[in-house]
This record gives sequence, structure tokens and C-alpha cells, in this order.
Amino acid sequence: MNANAALKGDRQNGFVTTRWSVVLSCGSPEERGSAALAELCRIYWRPIFAFICRRGYSVTDAQDLTQDFFLMVIEGNLLQLADPCRGRFRSLLLKAMQNFLIDSHAWRKAQKRGGKIQFVCWNEWMAEAPSQLSIHTREAESWPAEKIYDVRWAATVVERALHRLGEECESRGRRRMFSVLSKYLAAERSDVSYVAIGNDLGVSADAIKRLLHRLRDRYRAILREEVLQTVESAAEVDEEIRYLCAVLATEEPPHAQ
Amino acid sequence: MNIAGLSDFTGNASDEAPKCECGSAATVSVGLCVSCLLRCGLRAEAATEESFAEALRQIEIRDSDWQLGNYQILEEIGRGGMGVIYRARQRHSGRIVALKRVLSYHSDSHETLTRFRREAEAAASLDHANILPIYEVAMGEDGLPFFSMKFAPGGSLLPARTTYRARPRQAVQLLAKVARAIEHAHTAGILHRDLKPGNILLDARGEPLVSDFGLAKWLDATSDLTRTMTVFGTPGYIAPEQVRSPAEMLTAAVDVYSLGAILFELLSGRPPFVAEHAIAVIHQAAEKQAPRLRSVAPALSRDLETICARCLERDPRARYQSAGVLAEDLERWLEDRPISVRPVCAPVRLWRWSRRNRRLAVACAACVLLGAVAALRQLQSWHLESAVRKAVLAAHSIAVLPFLNLDTGEMANDMTARLGKALRAELPALGPAKIVELPIPSAKWTGTGNVDEIRIAAGQADTRAVLSGTVRHSGRGVRLSIHLFRETGDDTLGQWLLDVGAIEELPQALRRPGGIAALLYRALDARTHAQKGASNTDAAMVDDVARGYFNAGRALLDRRTIPDMDRAINCFEEAVRAAPASVAARSYLALAYLGRNFLTANPAHMERAFAVANQALALDSHNPAPHRALCSLYTSTGQFEQALEHGLLALEAGDPSERALGQIAFVWKELGHPEKAIRWFGKAKLSERQPADYDALLGDCWMLLTEDDQAREAYRAAANFHPDLPEGWLGLCHLQLLNGDFAGARMLFRQRAGEYQAFHTVKPLLAQIEFFSRNFAEAERLYREIRDADPRGVGLEQYGAISSASALARLKFATGDLVSGNQLLKQCLASDQAQVRVSPHNAEVLYRLSADEAIQGNVAMSLQFLRNSIAAGWLDYRSTRLDPRFDQVAANPEFQKLLSELAAQVAGLRTALTSRSPKGENENSAR
Repeated sequence: MNANAALKGDRQNGFVTTRWSVVLSCGSPEERGSAALAELCRIYWRPIFAFICRRGYSVTDAQDLTQDFFLMVIEGNLLQLADPCRGRFRSLLLKAMQNFLIDSHAWRKAQKRGGKIQFVCWNEWMAEAPSQLSIHTREAESWPAEKIYDVRWAATVVERALHRLGEECESRGRRRMFSVLSKYLAAERSDVSYVAIGNDLGVSADAIKRLLHRLRDRYRAILREEVLQTVESAAEVDEEIRYLCAVLATEEPPHAQ
Repeated sequence: MNIAGLSDFTGNASDEAPKCECGSAATVSVGLCVSCLLRCGLRAEAATEESFAEALRQIEIRDSDWQLGNYQILEEIGRGGMGVIYRARQRHSGRIVALKRVLSYHSDSHETLTRFRREAEAAASLDHANILPIYEVAMGEDGLPFFSMKFAPGGSLLPARTTYRARPRQAVQLLAKVARAIEHAHTAGILHRDLKPGNILLDARGEPLVSDFGLAKWLDATSDLTRTMTVFGTPGYIAPEQVRSPAEMLTAAVDVYSLGAILFELLSGRPPFVAEHAIAVIHQAAEKQAPRLRSVAPALSRDLETICARCLERDPRARYQSAGVLAEDLERWLEDRPISVRPVCAPVRLWRWSRRNRRLAVACAACVLLGAVAALRQLQSWHLESAVRKAVLAAHSIAVLPFLNLDTGEMANDMTARLGKALRAELPALGPAKIVELPIPSAKWTGTGNVDEIRIAAGQADTRAVLSGTVRHSGRGVRLSIHLFRETGDDTLGQWLLDVGAIEELPQALRRPGGIAALLYRALDARTHAQKGASNTDAAMVDDVARGYFNAGRALLDRRTIPDMDRAINCFEEAVRAAPASVAARSYLALAYLGRNFLTANPAHMERAFAVANQALALDSHNPAPHRALCSLYTSTGQFEQALEHGLLALEAGDPSERALGQIAFVWKELGHPEKAIRWFGKAKLSERQPADYDALLGDCWMLLTEDDQAREAYRAAANFHPDLPEGWLGLCHLQLLNGDFAGARMLFRQRAGEYQAFHTVKPLLAQIEFFSRNFAEAERLYREIRDADPRGVGLEQYGAISSASALARLKFATGDLVSGNQLLKQCLASDQAQVRVSPHNAEVLYRLSADEAIQGNVAMSLQFLRNSIAAGWLDYRSTRLDPRFDQVAANPEFQKLLSELAAQVAGLRTALTSRSPKGENENSAR
């Protein structure tokens, strides 16, 4: 992707440029900034969609509103609509979304367009990187839309990292290995039967142990890269991860930064 | 699609999902805790891409057994008794698919494998919006077949089924669509045999996609009745006769039963029969009447209870006659219209009576079947006599629909009354008959007699047959094409052409001995015999080999690359070889050659295309397929009068597809009548397969009429709904260009050019932008590339009638290279003059000649050709004004006058169109 290529180039020059910092530094929808923003939106459409669904819209209406919202964002109105003091991409997007839904014309405009304009190619995106978030019914029913948004965001971050990790393995002819070992990414070491996995894949238990270790390391790196893309600087990554962990752990959502 | 939007899959909220030890309730993928996965990121160790790659290199686990044919397996998403399902990526296209692979067989003989393949291929031939498309049936290296199909991102109905209990309307809507899909498959002779929520998948918008047609038996171990219910799945969906009858004896009624069982469960939250294990469920279904829906869910409407009960009758003959009739009842319920079946059990009582009085019932049925009025007298009972009369009357009941006026593309309402009156006068002399005249029965009425239209009409008029057709003026008077359809819409009972001097002579023409009235009545009699003629089945559909090649070829035709088109040609050639009498195979072969010529011009391809199309026509001149092919062929050679004639002949021959309407529309546009084209496109759009199928072409019509806002809207719809095709976007670029906004056109072009590099229509537009903006160096480079890629191509460009040779000639003259310029121009003139001999009234060719002459500075000749071109239908004066080829005549007052007059003419057409719309013709305005 163009935005990716641009970012990679920057990294080689010694800068860590995140997609979000590119967006922020532009302010106006200049080509590179809007490409980075579009890429971010392509990754994080599910939290927006889940938020709108929870607000009581039907699935098709929520899809149309999501399309419309992203078009507005891509057209460059995100920063005007959101808090001028800026912030993380996650909270900024949520604020913009809330404003968008409050705007009484938004819905009528979306209806007028009849959802014809598409930013999200639902079928394709869902096929390319399907999401399988599952939540205990009681929790899912009681959470407010903001919490649904954050949880869905957290899930998107980890699923995106898993997806990228899977692609890296596949590009090196190791997709099958990934599909077996990825189940144990977050497992305690004592819970993993290296012998059984080794038998399944036809290699020694030791080799599995080493490989799982490397896989976890790589996953960690990718996860941090993904989070980094949504914040302004590397210093904020830990804080963002902690925030998302806290959302998942508590009954009441912590105050958004 | 899930309700809360949390997950792509329907089962996003689950009672069973256990909480992680960390306290978090959210998991992804195979039960991985989101919170734990996040916390991993807080640890310090991390590996770079390079060091990870090195670790992978050292381990000997390769993906060789995770590749199947041309697919990279991504993950396992399901496993049944005998098969496994993967999410996979097609390697060259990157398309994500679902891949099904059979792991073992009841028998591993060659014959079994061949049968599996054949059935999978048959299922692959089904083309319906609510049937999961099968892309490819292939063989793995292990010799076991597998097939790829569309990946349905919404998962299956299985986990979502309980959510419909609170939403009966959505449940009925969903099931009506599924029933329509099943009906489509039945029409193609394919039973599903294992319909259940797990086989109904959902796309991103929650639309149902029925999967596993006829294949279920290969993939699930449903014959194993000893398993417990949990292993067995949901046996309550199988019709009772399915357990005891051999597969060959099963009818469409088994699928109707399953549809009823699914509907029952969606509405009530449980399947009709529930028991400890599979055998007990099957026993119950065979022994007991299904429970009444409202005994489980009392709040539901009585009609829904009746519909369910009718589907779940134990006797297959007592169920809905077809999935289509069920679908119709569901649709009626949705529209608050009375459903066709009654809860009072009159039909059931009659049926039970007939079981007790078998002999009398047979006599009765014989009367109905033979239409023999004489048999009536033999019956003593007045009640029975009356019943039989009613039955005979019902069998000979016809709804007369408005005819399509081919001259105007509008409905000829007066024909309905005229024909209805004439038939009412004539038919009773032949036997009992009922004639019902119907005005346009629905808003989406095309008038070409497609399946839906016929079904709706028959339902409204409550008749067993529907009469429709076309009317147009011919040299000698009026020509009527009359079609008689079975009420199900999928079968033509008869088809006649009738030429009369004037419309007033219609009654006499009907009355003539052996005239239409007699033929019509005989066709209705034949209908009651259920003698569906096998004659209308194409030879390629009867022969297994030919059918295989034919279906493969059709799938390839939709792609637009040279290798695919070559493969399509091979497939159809093989189909013709296997079934030489096939009209369809020859017609499609002609289209494949035409498509091939479109990609790189070659006269040999066109010659073969015309030859096979004419062979097909010689085999059966009353078949729409060859006419459609010839319409396309003549369109591409610019012989639009002939193209129009064959397009209309195709409609008269009963072509119900919207493609025929689209073709006629296109020809009208080329004949300089975009206003007529818009009307015909509007008709085609009423039954288009996907939204905005015709919007790019509609955009062109509006563009010619200089209605740029309308054009833009149409192009945008095309670009949005068909992002895989460049047409909509090209139209938008071209619109900018016509308005002289070169920078805007260029910018818009660059935005998406990368996506469409493979399309040969893309580069010519950029060349045209550079040419018109007088960026001559760049234009020359582009036109040279186009010419090098396709030296004989003369008409591939989308807009402005600019061949690469003529543009290059103009550019050579600009740089003073007169020798090369003249040489190119000579080629242009030769080719254009040859073409004008073939089609002397082709506006585009005449326009090209005008440009050729203008480049040389032959003002008088150029103006003469331009005049002829305008007379033949050239309208795009905005392009002419910008075209550098006309630089040498641009200052000429006569030239200016011609273009001003043309602009006025276009304004006239526009007014003609807009002043017609308020008449309430919904087909006039496409949106």
C-alpha cells in the first residue's frame, strides 16, 4: 500500500513516523496524510460500526452510516469535527463519530445518498481479515456503546497483529505452522504440550518450544507497531495498551484520555 | 450479520464463552483472550522481521500440504463427517474463497469420483443472487476432488437462528429469498436434499446464500442414524420420505419440507420435532403431524402457522407444489395480502376423500387432464360435475398482459383489451375458458415475460397461464409475437408470430382455421397433460460432455482477459463438437470470438463468429440465442440497423433476459437516440442482476444529452457498485475532459489508474486527455504504446471516435513529419473507407472520415462527412470542439454553424425526454 511504503521509507531514515502522526502533521487532507488516514480507517472500521449498531440502528443502516462517516473523515473533516486539542486516533475517531451522529442531518444525508457511495467493501474486507470476536452474552448486553467501541477497538488491534503475523509466516511458507502455534500465543508455558504439537507438525518438542518463543516475540513487536500507528509517538504505546487492557478488565470504562 | 455489530459472525454473543482467568470476557479466533493478547505487548522482548524469518527458515514445517491446486489454505473453518472446509486465498488473484475438500468416500472407485465431480459441476452452474457461487471444481494432487466457492463472511444461519424469534418479518423475508433460490435450483433440476440453518450462509449484509446443493451427502455423514443428536446435528429438517426412499425417488417436496422446518424454527425458536436422538426425531416426523406453530409461539399470525403446516405435511403431495409457490405465499404475507393456502382443510379433505374413492378420483382427474367435456356427462353427482367444470375452467384460464411496443419501448395497453376481447369471443367455442385482462401488474414491469413477472401476474389474476408478447410495425402492417407461459413463469407453452395488415384484423386472424385461438387452446390442453416438451431443451444441455464445456465456457466469458477468452473459445468449440445440434453452444461460441476480437482485433475471429452465429440461426431461427449473438456482432461491426433488427427478433422469439433490452438500448444510443436508449436501459435496469449494471452506459447517454449531473450520478453508481470495472470512473474522467477541465480529468484519472491497468480501455482515455489538452509529446507516447499493443485495433477507444493511427497522424503533422503523417493517414482512410462500405450509415465511421479529411486540410470533404455523420446520429459536439484533428476546419463558419445546430438538436432531444417523464413512466427515469 502507498501509505505503508511511505512509512517504511521514513523508518529507514531513522524516524519513527506513525500513520497517525502523518495525519496530524498534515492538518489538511494532503495526499500522503489522507492516504495514511484512509489506511487507518480501513483497519478500524469495525469499532465504528459496532458503536452505531449499539446505538440501535439496523445493520444495513449502520453500514450506510459507517460508509458515510468514513467518507466524511477521508474528505478531511475529521479534525474540524473533533476536539481541536487533538489526541489519540481512537479517542478522536470516537468523538468525531459521536458528533457525526448528533448532527441531525447526517442520517438524512446518508439516506439521500442511499448508501451508494462505498468506502468499506464489506464482503472483501471481511473475507480478507474476518473478525471472530466473541463476548459473554451478559456483558455484551449491558455494556454502553462507548465500551463496546473500546472493546471492539482492542479486538481489532490484536486481530490485526495476528493477521499480519499470519501473513509473515505465509510469505515464508509457514502458514500451517502459524495456524497450529497461534493458539498458544497467550498461553502459559506450563499449559502447552510441546510434545503433542511437535508430533502434530512432525518436529521435535524442543524445536516447537523455540519456535513458539520466537513467534511470541514477533507477535509482540507487530502488536506494538500496530498500536504505534494510532498514537503520536513511541512513548505513548504502553499507555494505550494499558488503557485497552483496563477497558477489558473493569466493569466501568476508565476515563478516556 | 450479527445484530450488535461486534463480530463479522452471527454468534458474537455467547452464553458458553468462558471467561479467561484474567477476568476478561472477550475472545477472538480460537478462544484467545483479547486482554492477554494485549498484555503480551507490554513485555520487553521483541523480534524483528529479519530475525523471525531466520527462525522460520530453520524449522522444517512447510506449507506443501497446505496448498491445494491454485490455493493457499489460510485456516480451517469447519469440519464435517467426510469433508473439511478452509478459508483460502487463490494464489494469482488474491481472492479469498472457501475451499471444500472431501476427505474420504463411501467408495473410492473412479465412478464415484466422476459422479461427485459431475454433481459439483452441476451445482456450480447455478447462478442466483441467493445461491453461494461455486467458482471451481478441481482435483488435488492426491486425486481427491475439491471445490472453491465464495467465502461468506457472515457465517451460517446456525448460530443466528435464535435471533429471528423476535423478528418474524425478517425471518419470513430471509426464508422467502431462500425459497426463491431453491426454486431456481429445482428449475435447473437440482435438489438440495439437506437444507438446514448450517447450509444457509450470510453475506456481509446478512443476505442469505444457500450452499451445498446436492453435495451434502458427500460432505456430511447424515446416513449414520445411530449417532446421538449432538453429533448428528439437526435431523428435524429432513423430510420423512427422505429416510425411506432411494435418492432417485425424491422430489422437490423434500426441500419444501426442510424450508418449512427452518421457518418453523426461526419463528418459534425450536425445530418442529425434538427428541433424545436422531432416530426418535425421524420417527416422530414420520408418525406424527408436526405441531402447530402457534402451540409453540402463540403470538404469531395464523397465516404463518398455515404456511408452516403446509410445508410440513407428511405426504409430499400435500405440501406446496414448489418452493416458488411457498416463496410467493411468504411474499404475500409480507405484503399483507391473503396467502394462497387456507387453514380450513378443504384440499386435505378432498385428498383424503380421493384416497378413499380412488376410482372416482381417477376418472375425475382424467377429465381434468384431457379437458374432455364429454366425460362430464358420465358423472352422476352434480357436486362432482361442478368440481370438474371448475377444474377444467381453471386449467384453461389465461391472464392477458400488456404487450411491449418494440417501436417505442413502452407498454401497449390497448393491446390487452383488444386481445382479451378477441380471445373471449373465440375460446369458448373450443371449450371452457377464462380470460382475465391485467394492466401492468407491478412497478418493476419490463414486459418481456421474465419468470418473476409471469409469476406475479398469474398470482394476481389467479390463472394457470399468462399471455404476453410484443407488437411492432413492419413493412406490411403489424407484427405480433404472442407468448403463452405456464403460471410458474419458467416454461413456455406456446409461441406464435402473427402478421396482420392492421390491428383491427386481429379477431379474424385469431379465428382462422388452425389460427392462433385453436393453437392456444391446444397448448393449454397439453399443459394439463403436463406434457412439457423436451424439444425446448438445448442439445448441449442433454449431453454431459457438452454441458460441462458449455458451463465452463460461460463462466469464462465473464472475465475479460485474453487467455480466459481463448479458453472460453476452446470450451464452446468442444461443446459444439460434442453436441453439433446445440444452438446455444454455437451462439455463445460466436460471442466468445467477438469478445476475443474486442481484446485484440483480428478479422479471422469475426469471420468465425459470424459463421457460427449464422449456423445457429439456420438450426433454429425461432430461438432468441442466435439473434442475440448476431445483435452483438452487428453492433460491434457498426451495422446498427441489422443489430437492432436482430435484437428485436430476439425479444419476439421470447428472450426474457434484461441483457436483450440492454443491447437494444445500446444500439439506439449508437443510432443517435440516447433518449430512446435511456428508456430501454430503464427497462433493463428493472431486472438487472446487480445494481448499476447499466449505469455506465446510461451515463454515456446522459453525457451525449449534455445532462452532466445525471451522467455523473450514473457513472458514480457504476463506479461504486462495480469497483472491479473501470467504466464508471472512465466516464467521470471523460466528463471532466468534455468540460475542458484537463487538470481535473488528469487528476481523477491518476487516482485510480493503478487499479485498472489490465483494462485496455483505460490508456486510450489518458491519451485522449493529453491529446485534447494539447500535451502532444505525452499524447504521442501513449498512442504509440496503444498502437504497438494492438496494431490492427481501430475502434477500441471508448470515447471521441479517435483511433490511435489518426491521432498519431495528427501529431506527426504537428511536428512536421509529413511522411509518417501521410502514411498513417492513408492507413486510416483505407480502414475507415472499408468500414463505411460495410456500414454506410455508421455515424462514428463517418465522423472518423471527417477527421481524416480535416487533418489533411480538406475542409469541404471534412464538412461533408461531418454532415453525414450528424445525419447518421453523431451527437458528441463537445468532443468535436476539443478534438485537435479538427484544428484546420475549426475556424470555418460552416463548421461552427454545424456544431451550433447540433447543440440545438441535442437540446431538442433532451426536452423530448424530460417532457415525457412526468407521464409517470417509471421506466423512463432510471433512478
